Amino acid sequence: MIMVENVVEIEHLQKKFGKTVALEDITFAVRQGEVFGFIGPNGAGKSTTIRTLLGILRASGGAATIFGQDVWRDAVAIHTRLAYVPGDVYLWPNLTGGEVIDLFLKLNHQKHSAKTDTLIKQFELDPTKKTRTYSKGNRQKVALIAAFSTEADLYIFDEPTSGLDPLNEEIFQKNVLALKQAGKSILLSSHILSEVERMCDRIGIIRQGRIIETGSLEEMRHLTRTVVQVQTKQAPNDISQLAGVHDIKVDSSEVNKISFAVDSDQMSPVMAALAAKEIISLQSTPPTLEDLFLRYYNDDRQEVKRDAQ
Amino acid sequence: MHNNNFSQTGYLTRFYLRRDWLKILIWLIGLVGLMGIGGGKFDGLYGTKAAMNSIVATLKTPAMISMFGPFTAQQPYNVALIFAMEMMVFMGLFMAIMNIYFAVKATRAEEDNGILELVRAHAVGKYAPLLAATLELLIINLVIGILESLSLIAANMTGANAAGSWLFGLGLAAVGFMFGVFSLLMAQLSDNARGATILSYLVLAILFLVRMLTDVTNPDYTWWSPFGWIEKLSVYDQNIWWPVLAMLGVALLVIGATFYAYAHRDVTAGLIATRPGRKQASALLAGPLTLIFRLERTSFIVWLIGLFVLGASYGSIFGTVGDIMKTNPMVAQLMGSKAVNAATQTVILNFAALLAIVFVVLSTIPAMQIILKLNGDERKGWLEQIHAKSISRLHLYCSYVVLALITGSLSLLLGVIGMYAAGQSVMDTPIPLSRFLRAFYGYLPALLVTVGISAVFAGLLPRLQAISWLVPIYGFISLYLGNLLDLPKWAVNLTPYGWINNVPLRQVQWPLTGALVALAFALFVIGFMLYRRRDMVEN
Repeated sequence: MIMVENVVEIEHLQKKFGKTVALEDITFAVRQGEVFGFIGPNGAGKSTTIRTLLGILRASGGAATIFGQDVWRDAVAIHTRLAYVPGDVYLWPNLTGGEVIDLFLKLNHQKHSAKTDTLIKQFELDPTKKTRTYSKGNRQKVALIAAFSTEADLYIFDEPTSGLDPLNEEIFQKNVLALKQAGKSILLSSHILSEVERMCDRIGIIRQGRIIETGSLEEMRHLTRTVVQVQTKQAPNDISQLAGVHDIKVDSSEVNKISFAVDSDQMSPVMAALAAKEIISLQSTPPTLEDLFLRYYNDDRQEVKRDAQ
Repeated sequence: MHNNNFSQTGYLTRFYLRRDWLKILIWLIGLVGLMGIGGGKFDGLYGTKAAMNSIVATLKTPAMISMFGPFTAQQPYNVALIFAMEMMVFMGLFMAIMNIYFAVKATRAEEDNGILELVRAHAVGKYAPLLAATLELLIINLVIGILESLSLIAANMTGANAAGSWLFGLGLAAVGFMFGVFSLLMAQLSDNARGATILSYLVLAILFLVRMLTDVTNPDYTWWSPFGWIEKLSVYDQNIWWPVLAMLGVALLVIGATFYAYAHRDVTAGLIATRPGRKQASALLAGPLTLIFRLERTSFIVWLIGLFVLGASYGSIFGTVGDIMKTNPMVAQLMGSKAVNAATQTVILNFAALLAIVFVVLSTIPAMQIILKLNGDERKGWLEQIHAKSISRLHLYCSYVVLALITGSLSLLLGVIGMYAAGQSVMDTPIPLSRFLRAFYGYLPALLVTVGISAVFAGLLPRLQAISWLVPIYGFISLYLGNLLDLPKWAVNLTPYGWINNVPLRQVQWPLTGALVALAFALFVIGFMLYRRRDMVEN
């Protein structure tokens, strides 16, 4: 086996359905042993990207490889080393959950193991019930149990926790972290940003079929603004003149107290200016992933508004 | 009216009709067209008295009675009487099939999809969805019945009268509605759409077989089967209306039972409950082929047993069918016993050849269903995780094809064997199994080619794949009614079924068999190449 640093590699991937362009330009990579978070609004193309990676859809342009092999041509070989949980899990109604789990394992030439039993217990699934009686969350558990007990090198999860309660969500996160510690690579598409923030090493943001940002959360924070709350001895009047300062709000209840947002790359000159005013108290809040996401999302909406006008 | 158990029924009924309009239209064109074209063509077929007497003599043979029902009208015969006899059972069967389809679709299928739950969560009466489904069936049947009547009046056959035409159309509407209502009840018993459909066809099959067996032995007993009541209408002869009322009466009773059952169960539950199953998969469930077999197990068994029972039922009347002494005593006496024996065998084998067409078309249905599930299961999202496993598309495709061919071939084989086994016990001079098996070897290639055509459609036009049903439907109509309607040769040859000679009476045409098998293989390969190249159908 050739060691490749990038487990998943996607270069300018395109996908058209007739005239609709679902994926315009997708480029990102998942590195060996990392958890890669894949986020974006509904309909941005997350599931289409994943289905193309699985060889279910055929790309219209660009290239995508997993383990260095072509995702369309070498799908079967790739899939022996891969486990996948879709966002909407549909199961054969007249099989039981236990039968489906075993079937999924056998389809990857693996067996029901002690780990499978542990997972069934952890997730509190009744495997003797026919899947038609399961709720959405229970169907998702079936797919998760099968995936976690599969011995694989790459795990792909497409919004896997949308039907799970918080307790099961935590079990999911624990299992993902265990995989990561075992050196596995994980591609996680999710709407639950706190989940992504906690678990992912790097993140890709997709919007309207394009990847608009990739990098670690740290790197991304540099691209955005930090909220600063500050009180100074001298009046901080000229702060608003500095480059990279936005949204200044004056706190009228206290003297010389203001809050503002500052571009991360302009932090040093702003801090120097504030120091000159003699800082009494200072509080800085790094942007959360939610801030990041909402910023891109809002940009998106403004663009749409502009287009409409 | 805003707060009762039936509120919004009218709105839901209109909504159901709008939702199904295209499907209703297709059935309507098919059924009314069959009636109108048949009616228009018949006048030319039996213009002379001699032609009329000869067809009536044929229709009075037990074989024809088992297929079309008894011919009870007295001399003088006319075209309309012959038409009514030939079409009534046949059309009744199609009306029943249409109603089973719409009844299950409007009730249990909606419930399986979770749509009923959404609807019931709104300001909609508890019984409104079920009543709306019932009304939808009533309206569909009424409209089709009236149009059938009008098409008959327009066809203006010799001997037809308006009263008879109205009775014909409305009688068919009544039998259709009755079977639709049976199906509504089955949808309460079973807790999934497929189960409801299987139960409905079981009811239809039993009532049809009772009708067939009693018609051949003693038509008085045909009253035991509500399906047989349409034969009692005596259309264009005595025009008896009250069986129509009897059918509506039965429908009303069953509607009562249906609403009672509906009121006493939870949404998504059936009266026949789903039991818990295995905790772990058995060793037999280990890949796509065994998975599909496991999913299709029930219908697999039902089809195999169904074809065997159907074959055996027809086989059991071979004694009567071959009784030339009874149907044609004069001729039989002139021929002498040896010649009579030979003639008897010919009559029986001719009948078996007609039955073989029924068996092969019926056997095509489960096989084609399985092929079309390649996309159907995909659309349900069941295959997404299979694609993510190390299972190639070829493996998946072949699994569906292999199971389809096994199911189709075994069904056909069991139909033929059932016919032989039951016939054996009632014939004076038994015909060996090998002779009957000619029907199997002869018609199997036609089944393979037809299923191959559906595989090409499944690969090429996944959204329109249902078009492939036209092949067996047209094949059945063209061959079953072809001789009676005097269809030209090319019209019969449009489907592969028409290419087969009169087996088991004749020899199997082995070169043709070989060519058809090769053609079928090519079709499956083409189907796969199309399937391999495209996106999987999205949900």
